[in-house]
Amino acid sequence: MVAAAQHPQIELLTYSEIENISGYVGNFEVKIRKKARSVDPLKCTGCGTCWGKCPTRVDSEFDLGLGKRKAIYLPFPQAVPAVPVIDREHCRHFTKGKCGICEKLCPAKAIDFNQKDEIITEKFGAIIIATGYDLLKWEEVYGEYGYGKYPDVITGMHFERLNNASGPTKGQILRPSDNKSPETVVFIKCVGSRDDARGKSYCSRACCMYTAKHVHQVLEKIPNSQAIVFYMDVRTPGKAYEEFYKRSVDEGAVYIRGRVSRIFQEGDKLIVRGEDTLLGRQVEVKADMVVLATAMIPSKGWDVLSKMTNVSTDKDGFFQEAHPKLRPVETFTAGVFLAGACQGPKDIPDTVSQASAAAVKVCQLFTKDEMATDPMVASVDESLCSGCGMCENICPYKAIEIKTITERIAGKQISRRVSSVNKGLCQGCGTCSVACPSGAMNLNGFTNEQILAEVDAICL
Amino acid sequence: MKRIGVFICHCGANIASVVDVKKVAETAKSFPGVVYATDYQYMCSDPGQELIRKAVKEHRLDRVVVASCSPRLHEPTFRKTVASVGINPYLFEMANIREQCAWVHSKDKEGATIKAIDLVRTAVAKVGKNVPLFASTISVTKKALVIGAGIAGMQAAIDIADAGYKVVLVDREPTIGGNMVKLDKTFPTLDCSA
Repeated sequence: MVAAAQHPQIELLTYSEIENISGYVGNFEVKIRKKARSVDPLKCTGCGTCWGKCPTRVDSEFDLGLGKRKAIYLPFPQAVPAVPVIDREHCRHFTKGKCGICEKLCPAKAIDFNQKDEIITEKFGAIIIATGYDLLKWEEVYGEYGYGKYPDVITGMHFERLNNASGPTKGQILRPSDNKSPETVVFIKCVGSRDDARGKSYCSRACCMYTAKHVHQVLEKIPNSQAIVFYMDVRTPGKAYEEFYKRSVDEGAVYIRGRVSRIFQEGDKLIVRGEDTLLGRQVEVKADMVVLATAMIPSKGWDVLSKMTNVSTDKDGFFQEAHPKLRPVETFTAGVFLAGACQGPKDIPDTVSQASAAAVKVCQLFTKDEMATDPMVASVDESLCSGCGMCENICPYKAIEIKTITERIAGKQISRRVSSVNKGLCQGCGTCSVACPSGAMNLNGFTNEQILAEVDAICL
Repeated sequence: MKRIGVFICHCGANIASVVDVKKVAETAKSFPGVVYATDYQYMCSDPGQELIRKAVKEHRLDRVVVASCSPRLHEPTFRKTVASVGINPYLFEMANIREQCAWVHSKDKEGATIKAIDLVRTAVAKVGKNVPLFASTISVTKKALVIGAGIAGMQAAIDIADAGYKVVLVDREPTIGGNMVKLDKTFPTLDCSA
């Protein structure tokens, strides 16, 4: 994180969103909205006076509601950049027109309540999509785990925050309900993954390993604790992964093959009722805390970005690579590449490999001043084109525009509308040539004449 | 007058155990414009490509058809082969007689051979209508945009930046780091994530 922040060749635009992408490989034009932080980053020293004195406390998104933050805040202590933002939905100055204590106390005079969103436009040669994942909202589907009504039934990501030294409990594993150290922790894997009926059909790939890690951390940090894992399969196909899982077993974790049918509260215990399919019998565990390994899903906003970049997605919303084996980081939009979990659930080692691969693809593009384009693109015979615009509407890559040309016909100047193809944007799919009613649009290398010659060769 | 050369690939036993490659090559000789046709074990191998080059020179071929696997695999290979002996790479056609013939009709050798002949016939008809195509060039802005500053975005940005190019790393959150910085230690090495 620090390496990315301090690199002289990297410009960070945090609290910013992509508004629009136009252009084509080598020449993208991108509009970026820099959301108003309400703090001037050039003046702010990150001293912390503002959030120290801010009177408004709200649930911290970063800690998934396990801790609090102020209305002016840094998401976490090591945040980069160390410049806070004002959450205008909760800040008293914005909601009630009062307060302004941060502005009064800021020694650098960096608070700017009047700051507005700024939209900048920049040119880029290549784009990497690295938008990552969210976790499935299990509370909406899994009634047997309590629909989220038990505070001590948490997700793996909550567990990470509890375990993190800079988290809400300073690294102590404590129950959210009463801040007591749990003795028996139950882990349930495949919550939403590999569940065609209510979740996702795919395996989320990282959960077996992070559950093994969580088990290890419970047993290491809490004396006399017990860790029990309900699983469907244990999948550890990575270097040093199986050994890592085995270690958690050796440390005393109990792995039970089967699903949990119900969790309910009894006193301050959570009763976890499930099945041990290897022994063929019901099991019941009195747990203090339950951790769910929930499915990875594409990060919110994937659909908008898919439209902006013309990169298609699979049925679940993960971005589609150009070829699953041979072109795993490229897309069908030239110049747009994929890295990480936005392409499919992934753990960190796989993500880092893919990110480096995507970077090499970008560098490949940048080593030349000019790039050769595939000549198998659409071309218009202007003498036949009626300018109807069917091709413009149907083109999935927005590569066709209608232009006006002026001709001399029988001594008169006549202006008329015809299609024109942007060779950088055209991906040679051929949709336009099929749609063209007058046969004016042809795909180079697959012209109507060439295709009909093939048909004739078989039929005549 | 066009001078088309046709090359039928055995792909070891992949094609030759189903399709009668000799018969396909023999029949192709009678197609309009074809002045040379032959078959070989592996057209994509070095000797296979050399066979094409020699035939182009000896028979003054100006267009080439290779009947072998899917063009997704070796079209770039053969385009380079013909370009190396002075033929525009787009005066080349491929007939897919493996995935679209031998592999799917392995139980009907006679039918597969008839289909292979038809596939070659269409490729020959098309290559006769092909015109030379030339790549144009477009300029490249040497600056990359990385959308999302989690571990994937940060790693990609650092690698591109280390190669000497400018990168803009965008994230909608107030900080970089993504999901990764929320994690405690990470498997399998249990090192810190921040």
